Amino acid sequence: MLRATGVSRSYGDDTVFRDLTIDVDAGEVVAVIGPSGVGKTTLLRTLALSLEPDEGRVKLDGTDPWTADEAERLVLRRRVGMVFQEASLFAGTVARNVEYGLRVRRSWSERIASLFRLSGAADAVRESLDVVGLTDKTDQPVDSLSGGEAQRVSFARALAYDPDVLLLDEPTSDLDPRNTAVIEDAVGEASDRGIGVVVATHDMHQAERVADRVAVLLDDGITEVGPTAEIFEDPADERTRKFISGELVY
Amino acid sequence: MPLEPVAQLAPALLDGGAGPAASLLGVSFREGYVGSVIAVSLYVSLTAVALSTLISVPAAVAIGLTEFPGKGFVKSVVNTGMGFPSVVVGLVVLFAVSNQGPLGSLELIFTREAMIMSQFVLATPPITAISLAAVSGVDDGVRDAARVLGGTRVDVALVVIKEARYGIATAVLAGFGRAISEVGSVLIVGGNITSADGISKTRTLTTAIQLEARQGRYETAMVLGAVLVALVLTVNAVVVRFGDRGVTG
Repeated sequence: MLRATGVSRSYGDDTVFRDLTIDVDAGEVVAVIGPSGVGKTTLLRTLALSLEPDEGRVKLDGTDPWTADEAERLVLRRRVGMVFQEASLFAGTVARNVEYGLRVRRSWSERIASLFRLSGAADAVRESLDVVGLTDKTDQPVDSLSGGEAQRVSFARALAYDPDVLLLDEPTSDLDPRNTAVIEDAVGEASDRGIGVVVATHDMHQAERVADRVAVLLDDGITEVGPTAEIFEDPADERTRKFISGELVY
Repeated sequence: MPLEPVAQLAPALLDGGAGPAASLLGVSFREGYVGSVIAVSLYVSLTAVALSTLISVPAAVAIGLTEFPGKGFVKSVVNTGMGFPSVVVGLVVLFAVSNQGPLGSLELIFTREAMIMSQFVLATPPITAISLAAVSGVDDGVRDAARVLGGTRVDVALVVIKEARYGIATAVLAGFGRAISEVGSVLIVGGNITSADGISKTRTLTTAIQLEARQGRYETAMVLGAVLVALVLTVNAVVVRFGDRGVTG
């Protein structure tokens, strides 16, 4: 479904990653593991079709957004959702945040009409909040939420418009075990819905728990991609083995 | 003579100052004079600030959300504009609307419209600069989220405006404060004119205060000053209230 082939990305003279290939299919969970600062966030932004690779191709169902016109690229971009390390919620209520992705996909006349509608949250908003266990917070302002709740709202916000691919950038790095468990369960729910999930994490235990496949990103490229059990129990690449065993420290 | 609270004075002043409340102050005004001065002040300043806001806020958002060569220079120019001497602005506008100027055929000299032009020029730099600072201060993560979740440029701009609403409200208030407290340029382009029956044509609160003080009528000048302060406080309260309501949406 979403496939990056031979992609490279630099900022000035700094190469973030080079000649990198990764893909995710419908309903599959792929974890990208690697130390902090190795380029996981840049990779996810590239997969989110918001950052053009310097070299290589990113294609969603065979279509390259960077050879398409802007309108077509927007259509492709809207099939991908992303959750950031920080919740980055918008000012307003939980419902308004979760509804954002749905709202921007409506025509302007529908949006203006919805301003005068008194009905409550849309079904998709309620369902998404249900996945992260926050239906009771629907009408609360986001600044009343805890950090963990805010991140769960951020997840629901990306899930609400039913993307084909969901990208998670260290989604639980600042969360307590309970909120982490909620997010990991939500990843499973997204996968069950047929959404392809890519989760970038430096938590190898989390990768083991949630992923069908694991990609190991070290230095400036992916050293190895494979089924989770294979990567953790019998990695083919020596650097992967050292990183997983903790011998390779960054 | 001690001044009474402005809230008590305002109805009498708006009636023209001929009623008993005015005599309580020992300050007499011609029928309808103060009301017309307030009306001209508000009409000129609010119109100038509204027009400036329509230009300045989109400009600030566009500059803030776009990377382009010379962005720093543009910011410097906008910031420098905040220090424009108002008398010079008045002179330039006077030249523009005078018979020899490019807008001479419109016959705007000594009109409220010329005063609006002058106040527009003065209010635009602070509204743009403070809005730009507010927009630039919005968390990059929020902007990224607005875009990655499927927003167009307009959607992202709307999110950023909402996040920066307090800063933008401050910018509008700063622009209004600069406009309504302005003396030099409105005196030059407006002429501080009243009609024969004493009703203001281009006289504002500030130019009226300047005239009264120059003629030694300090109590009258102070009453008008209190009215001016009350107006500014009222507009501030309305804008802040509006900004607070915006967060719930």
